[in-house]
Amino acid sequence: MTVDQASSPAVGRPHPTAKAGRPRSAATRTGPSMTTRKHRAFYMFASPWIIGFSLLTIAPMAYALWLSFTTYDGISPHWHYVGLGNYRELMGDSVTWDALGRAGLFALLSVPLSIIAGLALAVLVNRPMKGRGLFRTLLYLPAVVPPVGAGIAFKNLFDQNSGAANGVLTFFGFDAIGWLADPYARYVLVMTVLWAAGNIMIISLAGLQDVPRELHEAARIDGASAWRTFRSITVPLLSPVLLFQTVTGVIASVQTIMPMLLAPMAGTGGLTTIPQSNYTYMIHVFSEYFALGRYGYASALLWVLFVLILIATGLIFRFTSGVVFYNVGPEAQK
Amino acid sequence: MTATSVNPKSPARTRIRVNRLVLYTALVVITGLFLGPFGWLILTGLKAPAELAAAPVHWLPTHFEWHNFVDAYQAVDFLGYARNSLIIATIYATLVTLSSAWVGFGFARLTAPGKKVLFGILIGSMMLPQMITLLPTYLIFAKFGMVDTYWPWVLWGLSSAPYLVFLFRQFFAGLPRELEEAAIVDGCGYGGIFWRIFLPQSWPVLSASFVIAFTWTWGDYIAPQLLLSTDHSTLAVAVMTTYVSAAGTPNTNLQAAASVMYVVPILLIFLVAQRGFVAGMSTSGLK
Repeated sequence: MTVDQASSPAVGRPHPTAKAGRPRSAATRTGPSMTTRKHRAFYMFASPWIIGFSLLTIAPMAYALWLSFTTYDGISPHWHYVGLGNYRELMGDSVTWDALGRAGLFALLSVPLSIIAGLALAVLVNRPMKGRGLFRTLLYLPAVVPPVGAGIAFKNLFDQNSGAANGVLTFFGFDAIGWLADPYARYVLVMTVLWAAGNIMIISLAGLQDVPRELHEAARIDGASAWRTFRSITVPLLSPVLLFQTVTGVIASVQTIMPMLLAPMAGTGGLTTIPQSNYTYMIHVFSEYFALGRYGYASALLWVLFVLILIATGLIFRFTSGVVFYNVGPEAQK
Repeated sequence: MTATSVNPKSPARTRIRVNRLVLYTALVVITGLFLGPFGWLILTGLKAPAELAAAPVHWLPTHFEWHNFVDAYQAVDFLGYARNSLIIATIYATLVTLSSAWVGFGFARLTAPGKKVLFGILIGSMMLPQMITLLPTYLIFAKFGMVDTYWPWVLWGLSSAPYLVFLFRQFFAGLPRELEEAAIVDGCGYGGIFWRIFLPQSWPVLSASFVIAFTWTWGDYIAPQLLLSTDHSTLAVAVMTTYVSAAGTPNTNLQAAASVMYVVPILLIFLVAQRGFVAGMSTSGLK
């Protein structure tokens, strides 16, 4: 990335005002030097983000960290400091570990599947053909549908009695399935993610269009098969995009609230109606906050999740560092 | 389709045609699968309650109950909830677009010690799980009496969004340097340069940013669910929670009709603003 290219005045062509501003001794001008003015201006421009990030991200996280050392429940004034008590309880809480396992399984299923689906769609609609713009738009459309719309759509699609999924099953002589209950609910959850694979399609498509045409032509002349070309040229060149999708996919899947939207009863009051197989870690956090009012314990859960996500992200980057191919030729410097 | 007509003279061309036929068939089937859930939602919204309870699934409604859409509109204060959604989304999208453009300008065109570190934090913060910060933020907003007000969206809007900051930074960094040099010689401050020179040049990004932020807020379920009481909530929350009969059973067909009316504006906005939307997505995904 070229962070400073456009912003450092002294690089490239020298300019009278830029020059005059550089040495401190150039005090012929009134007021602070150009450089100081520029520094101050930068902080003036960055301040909304710096202040907002401090107050609305760092402060709440610090507050949650403090709460995680207490027994605060939001109402009672008789809370007290318990040190690492909540974390100790968490270590021995099988509900927490099961919920974490379910979140992990969900990420393990939904992230690779949606990346494969998105990549496959991208390759399909990247071919020169009539109407591909229309196909791209239609395939991407579900990714624009807000979670509430997706949740209600899938609830109706997989309804035990009136859903199309069971309609197809019974049409072929199979028994109807309670899709939204245990143990099938988790597959419906994964399917809601796959439905939005158009997201990954669009991002991969942008990457595919950056793949130099000559590479494909050279491969074809050498007699490489389509699959071979895909595996040896397309995938390596797309690997930074795929890595990015993996990381954001894992983070998104861990914090999804879709189980709440697929539950028989909506809202924080319906948390107890979520089937066991969709009781993920994030849902566990919500239950501890809103169904049980255990703010301290729930905050400890949040911090553990935060640290686990950092570790997972670090591991993903580490394990892919040898595999991901960054094209840093002059072309990529644009 | 002409692809089915076979030219016996050239086997290679025939192969290409068959390939193309297979490709089109596959695409049509896949697209059908992707549109299916939404199609089913519309069909559900057109059925009578008795039909939804019928034992073998009724694929098509025997009678299209178009009045379900009117009923869904009248059963709850649909317009009121839609208005709340519109107000919140407009407030947030306007503020966050301006603040992100402002911050993006700083990162694109100015230098200062610590800028690189700050930029690293900005990019890193895009990966912060928002749900983790939302819950304690809600507790803090509750402490300051901002529950059931629009203040949270004003504050979120003013503090800019890293994703949009990045979008603006990329755009501003690509503009020629002469733009501000002439203005500096004329004695114009950076605030003026931003406001009078850069902002008027950036309509495409401004509108893309507004559309993206608007659809985020319109689609957001959890923040209004936590921060607003049911009466003052947004359409997302209302569609999810209010279509229940007096006996507590869900009004499935009305809810389906309502959710179609809730989703369609977003789909229309997307179709109109498609280019900026997709361009923004691709930039963020690649860098």
